[in-house]
Order: sequence, then C-alpha cells, then structure tokens
Amino acid sequence: MTLHVAPAELALEPAPLLSVTGVSRFYGARIGCTDVSFDLWPGEVLGIVGESGSGKSTLLRCLAGIDKPDEGEVLFRGGAEPLDIYSVSEQERRRLMRTAWGIVHQNPRDGLRMDVTAGGNVGERLMDRGDRHYGQIRERALDWLQRVEIAGGRIDDRPRQFSGGMQQRLQIARVLVSEPRLVFMDEPTGGLDVSVQARLLDLLRVLVRDLGLAAIIVTHDLAVARLLTDRLMVMKDGRVVEQGLTDQVLDDPHHAYTQLLTSAVLSV
Amino acid sequence: MTIHQMPAKDTKPAYNYAYLDEQTKRMIRRALLKAVAVPGYQVPFGSREMPLARGWGTGGIQITAAIIGPADTLKVIDQGADDTTNAVSIRKFFERTADARTSEATDEATIIQTRHRIPEAPLKSGQVMVYQVPMPEPLRRLEPREAETRKMHAWAEYGLMQVKLYEDIARYGEITKTYDYPVMVNGRYVMAPSPIPKFDNPKMHMSPALQLFGAGREKRIYALPPYTSVRSLDFDDHPFRIQSWSQPCGLCGAADSYLDEVVIDDQGGRMFVCSDSHYCETRRAEGHRGTMLGDATASGLVEEKTP
Amino acid sequence: MTTMIQVENVAKTFTLHNQGGARLPVFDNVNFSVEAGEALVLAGASGAGKSSLLRILYGNYRPTAGSIHITHAGRPVDIVAAVPRTVLDIRRRTLGFVSQFLRVIPRVSALDIVRDPLLARGASPEEASTRAKAMLARLNLPERLWTLAPATFSGGEQQRVNIARSFVDPSPIMLIDEPTASLDAANRDVVVELIAEARTAGSAIVGIFHDEAVREHVATRYLDITSFRKAA
Repeated sequence: MTLHVAPAELALEPAPLLSVTGVSRFYGARIGCTDVSFDLWPGEVLGIVGESGSGKSTLLRCLAGIDKPDEGEVLFRGGAEPLDIYSVSEQERRRLMRTAWGIVHQNPRDGLRMDVTAGGNVGERLMDRGDRHYGQIRERALDWLQRVEIAGGRIDDRPRQFSGGMQQRLQIARVLVSEPRLVFMDEPTGGLDVSVQARLLDLLRVLVRDLGLAAIIVTHDLAVARLLTDRLMVMKDGRVVEQGLTDQVLDDPHHAYTQLLTSAVLSV
Repeated sequence: MTIHQMPAKDTKPAYNYAYLDEQTKRMIRRALLKAVAVPGYQVPFGSREMPLARGWGTGGIQITAAIIGPADTLKVIDQGADDTTNAVSIRKFFERTADARTSEATDEATIIQTRHRIPEAPLKSGQVMVYQVPMPEPLRRLEPREAETRKMHAWAEYGLMQVKLYEDIARYGEITKTYDYPVMVNGRYVMAPSPIPKFDNPKMHMSPALQLFGAGREKRIYALPPYTSVRSLDFDDHPFRIQSWSQPCGLCGAADSYLDEVVIDDQGGRMFVCSDSHYCETRRAEGHRGTMLGDATASGLVEEKTP
Repeated sequence: MTTMIQVENVAKTFTLHNQGGARLPVFDNVNFSVEAGEALVLAGASGAGKSSLLRILYGNYRPTAGSIHITHAGRPVDIVAAVPRTVLDIRRRTLGFVSQFLRVIPRVSALDIVRDPLLARGASPEEASTRAKAMLARLNLPERLWTLAPATFSGGEQQRVNIARSFVDPSPIMLIDEPTASLDAANRDVVVELIAEARTAGSAIVGIFHDEAVREHVATRYLDITSFRKAA
C-alpha cells in the first residue's frame, strides 16, 4: 500500500519541536515520573518503553497537556516562538490540543464520541475551528477514512459498530485531520489481535513517514518500538534509565534493566 | 393604603405585590441586568418556589413578577393562544397579585409572557417579551456535564453543536431540529431560544423589543437587548430555512403565519389555523376570510363576534 | 582519494549486568581508515568481533571508547558522539548496511521494499518502480513474487530482496555483513558484480564474507581484526 509520497526530509531544523526539561510528577510521596528531559525534532518518532508502573503514561499525560507536572517545563514550538504549554490559559491549551497536536488513546472510547458517526468524529476538529461547509467537511472526512483504510461507505456508521482495530484507525483519522505537528500515542496496539496490530503499525509507519509527523509512542511492546520509533527512552520506576537510537538501545543495551527487557522477549 | 398592602378581593391571605417579596425582585432584576449586559449568557439566579409546579412556567412568571408595575399591560399566551388553560391561569395570577391590567391585543401589551411562540404582529420598542424556558442549556443533550458546558460557553468551543447539525444532515438529509433551534447571539454565545418553532427564530433578530428568558427549574436567566443580532446555526451549503404550509389559515386566510393543524371531526377532517389566536382574530375583524370559516362557525370552533 | 571512514582508538567491552556483571571484552585500540572506492574485508576467526565492529561503524552498537568519523555531505562527523537524528540522517544519505537477513515488515511488498530508498531520496514513483523491477530481475527473483510481502518467501528469496534494496541506489559507504550465505552460486556472482559496480561508482565498502571465492573477488584490502583482540 502506498499513499501519495513526498520524501520526508528529516530537516535538520535549528530548533526542536518539543523541549522537555526536568519534568516530574508525584502522587504524594510516590514518584509518577521524575527528572525527564529530552528534545524532539520534527519528523522524529520517540518511543517510551517500560513495564506497567514505570511512569510512561504519567509522563505522556504531562507532555500532552493533560496533567500539569509538579516540576519542570514542556516547551512546544508550533510557531515562531516556543510556548510553555502550562503557562498559557486552559482555553489556549485546549485549543492547541485540538489543533497543533493530537492524542491517540489506548482505549478508543476515550478518544472517540461513540454516539457520533465516523464522519462526524473525523469532521469535529474541522468544525471546531470554524469550517461551515457540510459538503467540504464530509469530503475531507471521507478522504481521511480512506487513508486509514476504513471503507467510505461506513462514514455514517457509529464507532460502536466498528471492530477494535477500526476504532483505533478512526481515532487516528480524527486526530490527523487537523494536520497536527505532533502526535502522542498511548499503547496504540494494545488489546488488538496480532494481525490487526500489524495492519495498524504499517499504517502508522506510512503516515509518519508521509506526513513528516513527530510522534511520541508509549508502549510496553518492544516489537512495536522497533518497527515505529527512531529513538527510544527506557523507563523504570519513574526514571529514564537509558535512551538513544532505537536499534542501538535494543541491540546493544547498556543499562541492567534494558538488558533484562530485551532478553525477556523471544525475538525482537 | 398602597396597592401592595390591600387585601385580595376575596379575603384570601394578602400577597406582596406580584407575589414575590421585594428582595427577591431585586435579586431577579440584578440577574436581568447582567443578562442584558451579556446577550445570550446564562445567568444563574435564586429561583423561588412558586405556587405551581416546575415545568409550568415558573421562570417566566418570576421574571414578569420582578418587572411588572401598575403602568403595565400584560398579555399571556401559550402556544400562541390567549385562551388556553395555562395562559388563563397565569393571567389570573397576576390580576390577583398585582391587580394587573391585562389584554389579548399584542400591540396594547407592554409585557408579553409566552410559552413556545412569538406573536405574529411585529413587536415595538418599549415592549418586553418574557419567554418560559424548560432547558436553557443548548448543549445539554450533547454534553451532559455542567462543568464542561460552562467551559465550552466560556471559551466559545461550539464545534460540538455544529457536529450535531452535521449528524442530522448525514442521517436525514437535513437539519431536523424544528423547535428550540440553537442560535448564535451577538456573534458570541450559542443560546437556546426556548421551544418556539424555528419559524419564529427570525423574529428575534434585531427586534425592537427587549427579550427576557427564564428557566425556573434550571435557575437560569438570559436576555436579548433590543436590536441584537441573532443568527440560527447552519452550514453554508445547508442554510437555515423556516417551515411553510401547503395551505393558508382556514379561518383568516393568512399565508405568512405559523399554522396549527386541528382535527375537526371524527372522520379525520382537518384544518390549518393560525397558532396566534389574536392575530387571526384581528385579521377576521379586518374582513379577511378563510375557506373554512363557515364550517368553523357552524361547529362552534369560532365565536363569530358581532361587529 | 577521499577518506570516508576514520576509526580512532575504538574499544568495545560488553557488560552483562544480569549475569553478575560479567564483562566480555571484544577489542580495543582499533585504528584504521577506509577510502572511497575501496573494499575493505574484515578477516579474523569467528567470535573475534568482526560483526561487532561493523555494527559499531553503523551506530548500531556503542563503542566503549574512541571516535568514528564518517564523511557525510563533505564533512567528517563523529557518529559516536552524534545525536540520534544526525545518525539517522547519515544512514539515510551516506551509510548503508546490508544485513544477513531481511527484517520483515508486515504487508509491504517486495517491490515496495526496493522502491523505498529511491523514493526517500527523491526519485519519482515511476523511476523508482522501473529501477526496482530491474534490480529484482537481476537477482532472479520471480516476477510473480514482486507484489507479495516477503514474509512467506524462502530465506534466499528474502535475502535477495534485502540485497536489491541495499544496492538499487548504493550509498557512499556500504557496510556488508555476510550477504551471500543463503544464496546459490549464480546469485552470489550477481552480488559480487553489484559490489564491484558500487565500488566503481565511488562507494567505500567494508564487509564480512565467509565465502572465500566471494572474498577474493570483492576485496581490495584486508584487515585482520584479531590483532585488536583485547585481553580479558
């Protein structure tokens, strides 16, 4: 399967799209995540791996604007000036979450309106920003449904009538329609059959390549990380224990925990 | 004695003028001022327990009670008619508690309290419309959480409302909402105009009258000051349209008013009649006659008033 | 002649934390360079660290010490110190790795696998298809397999797809790890030709070949890495 292809130049731009410095979030005395710092450039896909309780979901929520970290800052460079996403008003942050970036949730029910048709779900971001031409909105929704391999004839069906894999793909379309620069994904293949996972991963891989998206993908599945990500951060007990090029972290792990993770998998 | 100290005519316990105590009226007036200052914004208010159940117009009654005075003339309509049970009850309520002057003539009224219709006769500067509102929140069916809808209004996040209209068109080929049709007020707030038919929506736009909305059970007041822009929501390629009928009014022949369908016999015979009873009467008094007028008089549907 | 790879004082020791911290030294004090147009074959006994060295050159393994300067867009860049996106850019444009086995991605056809590097470097879809098909034909992959995903191919068929992908648009530096193990004699010869053509076009080659005949035909120089063996 090929889409219209434009070579995705990994432009060595002067400034990163996302700059994260010293992000920490605590639950009382318990550490959610602590002292996380990294930069993300346009076109890069960063994986965050770790077991349950490693802090990866907490970190994702801090990065995506959902939960404010107790320490540190998250700078987003969507326009000319970098923006501390927690220093702007909640209104502005909500607007950014609907336009400049998107979140694909682990459970499609958290990311879709189950009572609204597929077309309505995909068109919502367009209507949020003021689009008022029904025909054009529908056309764009149809275009995106086809890009995520959902038959156009299902545009008026509700997500309840879709399989899990289709619901996930619908979520992706819903998020990408506003052409965000950055996409967060939380266990995008969790709960799906292996064959369905393969299809979804392939789709994600092509979309990331063709659209030059930057993405942050949280997963516990190293095969997903290997396939989709350029860089990898390994988390344990709320801390980043190792980070670097994905193939290097998986093939030549240095930290004890990373070595444990990679050796525990049958074939990666 | 001042008017509010006079005992009621039939020795029942005395009420304060217009039933509500003065402090309550002040509270309601403050809410009204806020509402007028921010057109379309829902102002919470301390809705009182009234001598009738919620859902029977307590919001509208409280607003009327707060603003009515001895110089006012009150008209009350329900579904456009002055003579339905509820309209009659409410009118009597104010006659008793405020010794109010009442009228069925739209152009004579200074305050018009209405359930579910706007009169056909254009309103004038100096008149006040008081609407009875069951559900003030236009987004409620789409978003059940109050905390969320308040944020949506605060930040003008109305995409979801547009999604609802999209869904209608996708499902039925057109927007199916025919009453309580959501409007954009003053280019800023989306408002529920109360269950008036969408036919009446255009009358709200740039009206010379002051329009006040009261929801008693939900405890909200909102308002449209005179000459406010009110635009019904739609899509560029599916513009807002009002209803039309295949026949004019059977009694007065009006082709431009909102018609009710009335069953007139046991064989399913029907006729269409102006919902606005006073408008119809006025036209008949002016000599307009509809095709069914003869039958209607014969069957007692209409009292032929001797000129 | 341009120096494409400059290896200085590279050392590698593996530390296995989950086996009591056992240390496996591989080599140290590795110093050498590779010029454009050269084919340097790494020699040495099995387990000497040839594969490890190749992977270090690619940035897949991280050396314990030293620097590796790759000439990228005319300038030397130390891939040991470089940030991930720089290494990815080097891999995209300058540094190619021909592995022993094809890493299978679900649902992508053989043809698309071979077209991919051309498209990534800006070729038109039509040109990419033409060249990809020519390469697959040259490696004797039956045409009926071109539109299928290689997951069900035999080892040799998969490897030929892998080789086609690597050589359809040769990189300025090619790192080659035992590419002919699963191939028959005829296809081995094609690989030798492809390497020679890449070299003539100016690529620098560093490779590991167990087959003696292939080694003889390909190499312009040998490097025995046993001499870099580090004492335990």
